[in-house]
Amino acid sequence: MATMWKAAMASWLLEPLGFEFMQRGLWVAVVVGIVCALVGCYIVLRGMAFLGDALAHAILPGLAVGYLASAGERVSLFWWALGTAVLTSLGIGALTRGGRLKQDTAIGIVFAGMFALGIALISTIRSYAVDLSHFLFGNILGVTTSDVWMTTGVSLAVFFVILAFYKEFLVLSFDPLLATTLRLPARWLEILLSILTAVAIVVSLQTVGVALVAAMLVTPAATASLLTRNLRAMMLLSSLIAAGSGIIGLYISFYFNVASGAAIVLTCTAVFAVVWFWWQFRNSARRA
Amino acid sequence: MLPPLFSRRQSAHTHPTGRFALELRHLRVQFNGRPALEDLSLQIEPGLRVAVVGPNGAGKSTLFNVLAGALAPTAGEARVHGHLPAQYLCLAYVPQSSLIDWHFPVSVEDVVMMGRAGRLGLLRWPADLDRRLVHESLKRVGISQLAHRPINELSGGQKQRMFIARALAQQADLLLLDEPLAGLDIPSQEQILQILDTLHDQGITVLVATHDLDLAAEHFDRILLLNQKLIAYGTHTEVLTAQNLAQAYGGHMQAVETKEGKLLIGDMGGHHGHDVEGRHG
Repeated sequence: MATMWKAAMASWLLEPLGFEFMQRGLWVAVVVGIVCALVGCYIVLRGMAFLGDALAHAILPGLAVGYLASAGERVSLFWWALGTAVLTSLGIGALTRGGRLKQDTAIGIVFAGMFALGIALISTIRSYAVDLSHFLFGNILGVTTSDVWMTTGVSLAVFFVILAFYKEFLVLSFDPLLATTLRLPARWLEILLSILTAVAIVVSLQTVGVALVAAMLVTPAATASLLTRNLRAMMLLSSLIAAGSGIIGLYISFYFNVASGAAIVLTCTAVFAVVWFWWQFRNSARRA
Repeated sequence: MLPPLFSRRQSAHTHPTGRFALELRHLRVQFNGRPALEDLSLQIEPGLRVAVVGPNGAGKSTLFNVLAGALAPTAGEARVHGHLPAQYLCLAYVPQSSLIDWHFPVSVEDVVMMGRAGRLGLLRWPADLDRRLVHESLKRVGISQLAHRPINELSGGQKQRMFIARALAQQADLLLLDEPLAGLDIPSQEQILQILDTLHDQGITVLVATHDLDLAAEHFDRILLLNQKLIAYGTHTEVLTAQNLAQAYGGHMQAVETKEGKLLIGDMGGHHGHDVEGRHG
């Protein structure tokens, strides 16, 4: 009985791996999950979740124009999206300088305007609407071999930048005035961190899409923040949660025919919910 | 001029030059056309303990931000040991406790190690030298045993001591503390003041923003009385006169001579709200 059950379980787990598109999809989901989780730790600690969501939506016009310019060629679409994201974050920075507009106000204006521009562009080009919807909701099962290489390469680059600037980003996030008195190039570090956010968003487009990227940035990191009081442990846990959710989400997508991006994000959310209730329970037990 | 980013910094800016720890020349700061500091000129000699006092909105934090190099003056100039503030490395500040996210996932040791990040340079990891300095700094403020604690488990006094340790790890010779004694109980205040005394013995210049005129008079070499303009700078007997206090606090604060000495009476107009602020002889 037990062996039969084991065999059934094994074939249930192994069956999707027989498909090459699932192998590629799983690899990309894990890699992208880890990148978003690492960048997300800084986003959660700095209270910048809204910026992440805004950047994700703001790249839509870049994707639309890039799609027209390159006839849907993936590598150039990546650069169009990244360029738009970086320009958007610089634009938000420029609007807030001088202190007349608060940051969340500036983000709201730029993000809604850019997203509207994206929708307007797509609506005029009907034939592209289907392809572009992949960027809205993700299409992880359409990942090609060249996508795999590019995602992996870019993700490795993000990983090494975070490793190299670990202590600077830590100072900047914990105490920006300390970064100034230590004479660190605080402005450049801010820009570098928003570029990393932009890169993480762009590489996740294929897995979860514009509409759900914010969840990949925020949810695993927030879950990890409830579990540990150590930044390195938080980054590790956050990565594990994101990678695990990517794998589980894709299996759910495979067997229950749910959209892959939604399945991954819902898995992350479920993990968060479990941890949240455990955390509440533990705190009330401590108080009692 | 850019500091050498990728190597340990040992530039000229770590060595004090000039006679004064701090020199302000006609310093003026405006926010959206409204003045925050006006025509501030002042010289502070190295190694003094200076209390910066004045009502809420007097510009104490603004002054500290200029000295820290985070805020460029609208006009005039500030010099720290002869250097422009944004170029001077041996300066540390202790932030107002309320401005820090105490749930940030770092330990006491991590925070003190942050003080080393400026000297280390980019792309470098802490070496034995840095770890030793962090360890010694924690020992000097008496919280070695808390090194591995998450920061949200600290008491108010321990939090302040952690930030002073961070300033020591920065190897600062000018230390700015923004309301370090606010909200602390008397024993914790005493501990902080004792630590400031040991810094004084090492020739470190200390500027402390405080609301407490009594403590300022008792524990500091000089008092800087500020209300957008410089009202007075000197020893407490020179500064805490009825006339100066009336000028700074707009009649809400008076010095009354009694048999026991000078009694300061007033309401601070802000969150303190005591009637009798303190007494000193």
